[in-house]
Amino acid sequence: MAQVLGVMTSPYDLAAAVRDLKGAGFRELEIYSPVPSHEIEEALDRGPSPIRLLTLIGCLTGVSFAYFMQIWVAYDWPLVIGGKPFASIVPDTIIGFELNILLGGLFTVLGLMFFGMWKTRKGHDAYQPGFSGNLFGCLVACHGDQIPRAQEVLRRAGSSEVRVVEG
Amino acid sequence: MAAITEPVPQSPNQINDDILRVLEPPTPIYVLMVLFFATLVGIGLVAFLYQTYWGLGVTGLTHPVMWGVYITTFVFWVGIAHAGTLISAILFLFRAKWRNAVNRGAEAMTVFAVLIAAMFPLIHIGRVYKFYFMVPYPNQRGLWPNFKSPLVWDLFAINTYMITSIMFFYVGLIPDLGAARDRVRDWRRYLYRALSLGWRGSSEQWRHWSRTVLHLSGLSTPLVLSVHSVVSWDFATSMVPGWHTTIFGPYFVAGAIFSGIAMVISVLVPVRRAFHLEAYLRKEHFDNMGKLILLTSSIVGYSYGMEYFMAWYSANPYEQMSFWWRGFGYHSTSTWIMISCNVLSPLPLWFKWCRTNVLWIWITSIFINIGMWFERYVIIMTGLSHEYDPAAWGYYVPSVTELTILAASFGLFLTMFTVFLRLAPVIAIQEIKELWYEDRAHGGGHH
Repeated sequence: MAQVLGVMTSPYDLAAAVRDLKGAGFRELEIYSPVPSHEIEEALDRGPSPIRLLTLIGCLTGVSFAYFMQIWVAYDWPLVIGGKPFASIVPDTIIGFELNILLGGLFTVLGLMFFGMWKTRKGHDAYQPGFSGNLFGCLVACHGDQIPRAQEVLRRAGSSEVRVVEG
Repeated sequence: MAAITEPVPQSPNQINDDILRVLEPPTPIYVLMVLFFATLVGIGLVAFLYQTYWGLGVTGLTHPVMWGVYITTFVFWVGIAHAGTLISAILFLFRAKWRNAVNRGAEAMTVFAVLIAAMFPLIHIGRVYKFYFMVPYPNQRGLWPNFKSPLVWDLFAINTYMITSIMFFYVGLIPDLGAARDRVRDWRRYLYRALSLGWRGSSEQWRHWSRTVLHLSGLSTPLVLSVHSVVSWDFATSMVPGWHTTIFGPYFVAGAIFSGIAMVISVLVPVRRAFHLEAYLRKEHFDNMGKLILLTSSIVGYSYGMEYFMAWYSANPYEQMSFWWRGFGYHSTSTWIMISCNVLSPLPLWFKWCRTNVLWIWITSIFINIGMWFERYVIIMTGLSHEYDPAAWGYYVPSVTELTILAASFGLFLTMFTVFLRLAPVIAIQEIKELWYEDRAHGGGHH
């Protein structure tokens, strides 16, 4: 597979390039952007991030563990206070809430580390420092015979530079 | 009203240049400042070791006032730590775009303040090496902490807040660390390379990063409101006159946001001036923070009045005596400093001229910081020194050891913040750029 890189100076040009490339049948696209952009995200249409599920799992784990820990501890060393039940659900809710937030946050960040950093660690030969400055990059994976077509779409979308990337 | 005529960044590259310029090698004045703050920390460390060796007898703590400067300072720094999350999480969810210029500084401040706050209960217990008694760890005797105690709730709340704030701060920093990695050429390049975790700004990275920031904001919003509520329950669940009141939750949260915003202004105004960041930390940002100060000052002022009203209306002689003592007793100076700084000093901010006059709002923010420390001091000290039985009334005078450790906490905060200025972008580059592109798309002139 060959790779063609188009370099642009606007997120709106990049979003247009993505739409045109998808319209022309190119499916394997990688984007480099110095800013998050709803336009680009909508053009790529990659669906919701799986981090949503991890946050939910973290929150449920946190709140369950907190209630379990407090109720178990209450029965592990039972103290009779005014004839009240050993386990008190209402005050337990406070630590339940805190651990719900804590584990929800930890699972969310672990999700980012795995999906955002670990899984995307390879295949960035086209990256250049300008992509953290004022440049936007669109990398198209295509067969050799599709290169001219990809170059043409990228140029038409406003790329200031279009080149074939070795890799 | 004259139009605001501060410079506007002309390109995304200029935004990178302006903000990353702060990371360039320090000037001698900067080094002297860090050394001065670090010296305060060193003196405080000596005082702490002295106290650890001799015990809490070197403090002014004695019956009936067993909570003093340390718990006051703990509550103060927890309050300061609220601004970062308010600006980063709550204003993010409300899509208040003006927050983008100040959120990074506020988040850093939050992390440093909560780290310092967490130290104070440990300093307060004297035998600091016994801190783990609060933690539910398996032990031979099967003893556990009392999960129905607000002090244990506090342990969980503060630690949750500390970890979540650090995560929020770091996740927000990752794209900018990538930008710093691509710019600096010295040893820090390796640091940024490691800390940016291979950030390339790819679509997958942005997709997961944006979702993470959204979720952390959603989680942090109720957290920030809960943390100071839990701190307030340390007081409100007791039977001490002046403490045992249902108003404490919202009263403490409003006070925390009030002091936190003031501290953001106190630290960002000198940064703006020293690093020529007028194009980013603009007068409209101070205008908006001034409005938040007015709102929270009004809530705090109303709460002060309501405390006195309830003392009178309840016809409870202990409550009435406690508040009389607060206003006109031995330590009434603290009460009047509190009221002057927190209720009276923000009043000129009703005028836009004062909110957009950076020097004016900076001086006001200093007064608020002083006033908010005294607020906690007044609540703790006047409550405990004047409870039910006149035979058990007493006084509290902070010792030199306590005041040295208090000063050292400010030294530590300022040391961490000044070092942070040279290690990471103090303004969120990618968020400012995002606004820049949006403004250009809508034909605007500035962010």
